[in-house]
Amino acid sequence: MIARRDLAVRVAARTDLSPTCFRLTLTAEGPVEAVPGQFGMLSCGEGFDPLLRRAFSLAGVSQRRGATEVEFLIKEVGKGTTLLRHATPGSELRLLAPLGNGFSLDPGAHRLALVAGGIGLPPVLFAAEVLAGRGTPFDLYLGAANAAELLEVERCGKAAAAVGGEAVLTTDDGSRGEHAFVTTALARRLSQGRVYGRMLACGPTPMLAALTELAREHALETELSLEEPMACGVGVCLGCVVELADGRYVPTCKEGPVFPAARLAARWWP
Amino acid sequence: MSVRLGVELGKLAVANPIMAASGTFGYGLDLLEFCPPERLGAIVTKGLSPKPRRGSPTPRIVETAAGMINAIGLQNIGVEAFCIEALPVLRERGAVVAVNVFGERMEEYLEVIDRCEREEGIAAYELNVSCPNVTAGGIEFGHDPAQLERLTRMCRAGTRRVLWVKLSPNAPDLVGTARAAVDGGADGLTLINTLRAMAIDAEKRRPVLARGCGGLSGPAIKPIALRMVWEVHGALPSVPLVGIGGVETGRDVVEFLLAGASAVQVGTAIFRNPAAPLRILGELERFCAEHGIAEVRELVGALEWH
Repeated sequence: MIARRDLAVRVAARTDLSPTCFRLTLTAEGPVEAVPGQFGMLSCGEGFDPLLRRAFSLAGVSQRRGATEVEFLIKEVGKGTTLLRHATPGSELRLLAPLGNGFSLDPGAHRLALVAGGIGLPPVLFAAEVLAGRGTPFDLYLGAANAAELLEVERCGKAAAAVGGEAVLTTDDGSRGEHAFVTTALARRLSQGRVYGRMLACGPTPMLAALTELAREHALETELSLEEPMACGVGVCLGCVVELADGRYVPTCKEGPVFPAARLAARWWP
Repeated sequence: MSVRLGVELGKLAVANPIMAASGTFGYGLDLLEFCPPERLGAIVTKGLSPKPRRGSPTPRIVETAAGMINAIGLQNIGVEAFCIEALPVLRERGAVVAVNVFGERMEEYLEVIDRCEREEGIAAYELNVSCPNVTAGGIEFGHDPAQLERLTRMCRAGTRRVLWVKLSPNAPDLVGTARAAVDGGADGLTLINTLRAMAIDAEKRRPVLARGCGGLSGPAIKPIALRMVWEVHGALPSVPLVGIGGVETGRDVVEFLLAGASAVQVGTAIFRNPAAPLRILGELERFCAEHGIAEVRELVGALEWH
């Protein structure tokens, strides 16, 4: 397990990616290691409002001349994320990372299917770029409400192309890529006989629920990255629990955020 | 100048006045790399019941202005697992351990204490009396002085260890319940537990939390906690008090000590920063050094009126 640390990080860059989402690049001194699917708890500024750090999946971690660049893709949804969207480059934040468990990236006999919906992209993008670097083949399915909300399309395409994989884009309104839900695009390919060794996914709960159904039909081993409201991120507040198939509540921050879909309680799905 | 940090809570002397609060520090071993439990005055375990408890459905937490509301539902591993898995390590490390105890019936409190009595390495019990008594129509143990006195007396008979009662700020008569706990045999009082609170989602027209209501903690409640510590200290000046409620800085600790607490517990601050208790201890030491305070205990109850 990689050691958790409370890092002093600096805002290196903020880049708008869509009307609601932005990329936040932070630098930490020294090496930071993490695996795709892990997350960090990021402070949003000084003071007591907002009180708590925010949990974000890591979108990338790269070593740069003795320092580490840590990337997040963030959707502006409230006080904390609005402050981050306006964080001054050079300002200091605190980042508790890496936390939780990541995706299984072992290549099986078949390609991996990576599936992201909307702002569920960060851990999937991190996985895609790591897999591309290792030469592990995968297809990447990226869906969003509309063309403007499809994030990091170029990077997704480049990563998939590097291993001869397909990057499938879908939008709910048909403004770019296939006019379909990302789950429909995947279902179509599965029914046409495409075979995957494992599916790794992150996105809105209804999408994950649909993917779980699909995975069951096709006996496809699946790992899901979940999002729950978190206070501590380190397993002590028990605020972020998810219900497992055996009836236990376990903290998403510590036992997840990536769970094998088969471990989760059926009634967890809406 | 060097500052003497040790304080006494009745017969329990601790190396410093900073404790980790129940429900914010797991069973003492979850945050070792940030805050070793043996460096704190004491750690208070997550509330333990005789059997493991599953806890409440989600959402369980919501952030509010300078605070948060939780309705965890007392999820815990049960006293047996604590004694087998966590306590030996805490003992080995030399941590001062207070076990937070709760039950839905009076006998359940005693069951937890009885099990702990078979173990070395427990310094104190802290009774969580903000739990509804199922045999008394669901009224919280801590809301009715007569019932609280009976519960405390029963637990008192079960142990010679230090016994604290954690008071609820939601009780109709704070000083009355404080007195009842002391009459029942409590050695000290912890105050305050969370304030009953609610958050509502305007779009969905629903409460945010699955349980509807929960307990408010964080800096938002500090002024209330200070007032309550001050009131109870005024009414029962010889009873050791452990102050809790929104402690975020060393200066906050000084304020609680002045109001009459002999020690404080750090809770929600740990969620913001797992090393918060140690940072706060450092700040307290610095404050004392800068203000010529040689011993932290000088501050206890030293509030002056102008």
